[in-house]
Amino acid sequence: MKTIGKRIAASAVAAMLVGAALPTSAGAEVLKFVSWQKDEKGVGDWWASVIKEWEAKHPGDTIEWTKVERSAYADTMTTLFAGGTPPDIVHLASFEFQAFANNGWLEDLGPWVEKAGLDLNGWSGQDICKFQETTVCIMMLYYGTIFGYNEEILKQAGVAVPKTYAEFLAAAKATTKDLNGDGIVDQFGTGHETKGGGGQYIAEMASYLFDAGARFTNAEGEVTIDTPEMVEGLTRWKTIVKENLTPRDLSAGEVRKLFADGKIALKVDGPWIYSIMQQGAAKDKLKLASVPFDPPLGGSSNVLAMPSEISDEKKQLVWDFIAIAASEKFQTSFATLAASTPPSPRADLTDAKAKIPHFDLMVESQKAAAEHKIDRIPIGFEVQFNEFSKMIQEEVQRMIIEDLDPATVAKTMHEKAEALQ
Amino acid sequence: MSLRFLDLARPSRQHWLGYLLLLPAVALVALIIVYPLFVSLDLSFQKIGMATLNAPRRPFTLENYGKLFTSPDFWNACWVTIKLVVVVSAACFAVGLGTALLVNNRFKGRTLARLFVALPWAVPEVIAVVIFAWIFDSSFGLMNWLFIKVGITSQMINWFSEPTAAFWVVAITMIWKGYPFVSIMTLAGLQSIPEDFYNAAKVDGASALQRFRYITIPVLMPVLGVTLVLVILWVFRDFSIIKVLTDGGPLKATQTLSIMTYDQAFGFFNMGYASAIGIVTLVLCVVASLLMLGRKSQAMY
Repeated sequence: MKTIGKRIAASAVAAMLVGAALPTSAGAEVLKFVSWQKDEKGVGDWWASVIKEWEAKHPGDTIEWTKVERSAYADTMTTLFAGGTPPDIVHLASFEFQAFANNGWLEDLGPWVEKAGLDLNGWSGQDICKFQETTVCIMMLYYGTIFGYNEEILKQAGVAVPKTYAEFLAAAKATTKDLNGDGIVDQFGTGHETKGGGGQYIAEMASYLFDAGARFTNAEGEVTIDTPEMVEGLTRWKTIVKENLTPRDLSAGEVRKLFADGKIALKVDGPWIYSIMQQGAAKDKLKLASVPFDPPLGGSSNVLAMPSEISDEKKQLVWDFIAIAASEKFQTSFATLAASTPPSPRADLTDAKAKIPHFDLMVESQKAAAEHKIDRIPIGFEVQFNEFSKMIQEEVQRMIIEDLDPATVAKTMHEKAEALQ
Repeated sequence: MSLRFLDLARPSRQHWLGYLLLLPAVALVALIIVYPLFVSLDLSFQKIGMATLNAPRRPFTLENYGKLFTSPDFWNACWVTIKLVVVVSAACFAVGLGTALLVNNRFKGRTLARLFVALPWAVPEVIAVVIFAWIFDSSFGLMNWLFIKVGITSQMINWFSEPTAAFWVVAITMIWKGYPFVSIMTLAGLQSIPEDFYNAAKVDGASALQRFRYITIPVLMPVLGVTLVLVILWVFRDFSIIKVLTDGGPLKATQTLSIMTYDQAFGFFNMGYASAIGIVTLVLCVVASLLMLGRKSQAMY
């Protein structure tokens, strides 16, 4: 569908950046910044404010900000780095930067952090940026999930807002209905993307696994899949999908839209669900509450990094940009503009809490997830995460399609995961 | 002396002008096709994750090919590709030939009928895939609604979560997108058959089936042969339909060689291995083309 368009766009971006790699007029520097968040309401506005601040502090120099769609992002960035023309300001998802770091393409930011005196203590998700004993990035977002529900659907079904997995399952079953009796379910208890890639698939089922006490690996990176907790987690996910409590084969965006329009009763999602709820047909019926899973799913989202092969002068300019983004002032504005939890523990959240009614929910969820070191990227699989997640996705799909015993599937996944390491 | 040597107007130098005019095109082809091909071939003999153009060359190895030929995923991708090639090519030919014969007849509304036959060809692949994704949507799609209304099934079919269903969704989308090409090519071939052939056969008492069997098909063979090769190559290399509809899943039921190449290169960052898959795919395409063009593509008359 969008592939041809994406490729053209990716090629255009690559061509632009190659062209921009040629010497510019003396004095004025142009930093290339590629991001998928450019046109996103809220977070895109925040990036624009960081750029504006940087340009004000560097008169004459500019930042050329280009958007690349998320689905074509890894291809584009790989091509740019492979061709020797990486963007100066490197913006990557937290599940993909490891492959770039592993290839030696990212600068060790440790000395820059030290020189600038940037305090990263308590910085949510920053541990993930440690790669082979070096700091290769600064975490830009580590979020905790929030729980949206449709008050009217729950009332009609006679169920209370769930607070545990058992209540969640009961509510999901009670609200999955064929409303007009045509044999087709048109209202779902909950909603998950089951069509996307492996990473998204793991994120979708992670709440059920973590609540059951399951983990893919332990703190040392050893595989811990073949456990009773994982079997319980897989059983829960199988129940949700097999009993059609979620619509099947939809993208994450389509599922969120269904929730916003009142076709889904319960939805666990990231902070971005609030702005989508506000645009839906059922916005007056949608409410937010604490996630009925313990611990709540949290996750690192995206990082800022610096290419290792650019000139020292440019590195300084890029670091200035990173420092602005990581400053208390901009971490504070991140909370209000992006309506999301900033990673910095020193950000002033007073304004955000006053403006965004559910902000406390997000903060609590983020803290709980961070305390339990929850992330969809298991320790030990950072570099091979795409292969790992694809393997997990296929084995879980096999469990659902062939109606396999979750215990057998856990054992198979465990063996395959060990083989990948 | 040297100017005379370069005088392209001289009869003995005229062919130089031809080469000179061809040079930009040849250089362009070399730059955008031949060079990447050689880079890919070179990468396929290196154990390399993410490739960098200016990086020093890694040692020569056959490991990628060894891994490839012992990988069940590779053989599965070959099998899926062959299944798709056979199913899609056969159906495209059946529908394409049928519609071409239909709109070759004179009847009221023929122009409109020709337009409808060719319409899928004009629709961009992107739009076609979106339309079919909606039609086969597992929760709210038209096809499930239709199947339940007609009584073919009492339950929703998960078109993209069941391996067999997903394969047929991909195949049907490709057939819909691909048959007009066969139809247009065949129609052009049909219009080039002299009416005298049919008149003479009628005089000899040949039935419609006999005229089709002994006149239409043999005369069309050159067109059908070339069309078959082009359709096979299209199915072999098509990426966007599968990528968007199923991404090769579920359980690799729709993972063709092109999808496997993409996944290895940009999903798992195994550029060397991905290059090996790409080279093997190229060889298979060349062999298939030679086999198809070498046989059955000559006119009988």
